[in-house]
Amino acid sequence: MKLELGYVFIKDIQFAEVSKVENGTLYVSKEEVRKIILEDQNFISAEVELAKPGESIRIMPVKDVIEPRVKVDGPGGIFPGMVNKVETVGSGKTNVLKGAAVVTTGKIVGFQEGIIDMTGTGSEYTPFSKLNNLVLVCEPKEGLKQHEHEKALRFAGYKVALYLGELARSLTPDETETFETLSVTEGIKAYPELPRVAYVLMLQSQGLMHDTYVYGVDAKQSLTTMLYPTEIMDGAIVSGNCVSACDKNTTYHHLNNPVVHDLFAEHGKTLNFVGVIITNENVYLADKERSSNWSAKLAEFLGLDGVLISQEGFGNPDTDLIMNCKKIETKGIKTVIITDEYAGRDGSSQSLADADASADAVVTGGNANQVIELPALDKVIGYSKVADIIAGGFDGSLHADGSITAELQVITGATNEMGFNKLSAR
Amino acid sequence: MIITNNNTVYEKYKNDYNINFINGGFKDVLITTRDKIHEGYELLTHPLSSSIKPNETPYKSIIISDNKGNINYNSLIIIENSIIAYDKFNNMKVYNNYSEKIIEDFKLIDLTVLESALNT
Repeated sequence: MKLELGYVFIKDIQFAEVSKVENGTLYVSKEEVRKIILEDQNFISAEVELAKPGESIRIMPVKDVIEPRVKVDGPGGIFPGMVNKVETVGSGKTNVLKGAAVVTTGKIVGFQEGIIDMTGTGSEYTPFSKLNNLVLVCEPKEGLKQHEHEKALRFAGYKVALYLGELARSLTPDETETFETLSVTEGIKAYPELPRVAYVLMLQSQGLMHDTYVYGVDAKQSLTTMLYPTEIMDGAIVSGNCVSACDKNTTYHHLNNPVVHDLFAEHGKTLNFVGVIITNENVYLADKERSSNWSAKLAEFLGLDGVLISQEGFGNPDTDLIMNCKKIETKGIKTVIITDEYAGRDGSSQSLADADASADAVVTGGNANQVIELPALDKVIGYSKVADIIAGGFDGSLHADGSITAELQVITGATNEMGFNKLSAR
Repeated sequence: MIITNNNTVYEKYKNDYNINFINGGFKDVLITTRDKIHEGYELLTHPLSSSIKPNETPYKSIIISDNKGNINYNSLIIIENSIIAYDKFNNMKVYNNYSEKIIEDFKLIDLTVLESALNT
């Protein structure tokens, strides 16, 4: 399966009468976007705002971040099984508005999640501060149930992202990149000397605001299975996970999965990137056993030499992570796990809720309990008064001047467990 | 058997499942579960289900086996690690003056996470 990604670089975003992309600027018709959101009668009003890199803007509470893409050649459309028909995607050509994103915000439940600061200390911890963001603030109708609100907001994000992506359909990309995955037998013939490596991508799947969808299927209802890596680039996996801002994988993370990207970069050089095994993180312990059994079985079946495993979320996924690691290692396949840590505010506590001696190669996205100070910014998009009751915030987090003292976990993407982070330590 | 301190779970399922309702906090649910595991019950759901941190939500529901046998060491390791994780978070100050609306939302999330296990 072969996919060409065409990057149309976006350096600025502005409101205009007519939506278009011209000379690296994304012009957006506010009215058109509002109309798309309000097609859903669950919303009574919608505000559309811009947030650009370096501006004194805080966005909170963030639910999802989505990159605008459009399928210009090949079967299917972006977000198959969700918005477009359930065609197998991942081949042909896809254009990307690189440097732009749609950010959804909203108070689905009383306790809150997720800050993106466009400048200052906080901006260094989130990759989304470097994007030209179109932020949606959607007001639900009275009495809308949390499940319906979550779904409506998620779909508003997809629809607006597809609307913007469509603007890139007939554009000539500034840069293109091609990704190809051979069949198992072709891969063995092409790279007989190279180690066979796959990626085990763990998906959050535990209930309201903790879900992930694959071709429209709730991941908790699926057995462990396989995807071509390029299917993910066309939106085969989308996020309905609104909890644990710092280490949830937004839809943007899935589309731009850095493990997939880096494995492709080494493909045919130092390793043979065989494919992606997707597995869930269910609440039931028997489900955890079954899903990790299948991860290990597929890894063995594919004749792998090595596996990278990334997890999503806090607490019980540590158990899935260790089960996957241990069972795959038992098959004689080397593993590297990618996680983050809740090591206490001083970093001295046990980082994960589970452990095993076979987990001897670990990459960390950072300590989510680390306390940070976020300065007051000129403008807040979304709902500013929720800082005290935001995950990682505490009584008194929000100071009178608008500054915030909180744990790193308040920031969207700060300790991402795919390794999609900007900061590193030596 | 469901061990819970969430009255929404209790009210919804009291006629369908054997429920051990705990009039206490998150930690009390963990300790009761640990004691049951010591008696030979098997842990069926992960005590740290949901990504909401244990120093944020006051509510927790855990499913264990209805019947007891020999002590299950996997269950024991998971519950002990969960108690360690709970204590780590509980040592860190958080907001706990929740409004009624937020309390109800925490109960709802705990319920849906539990139901994701009951329905599989």
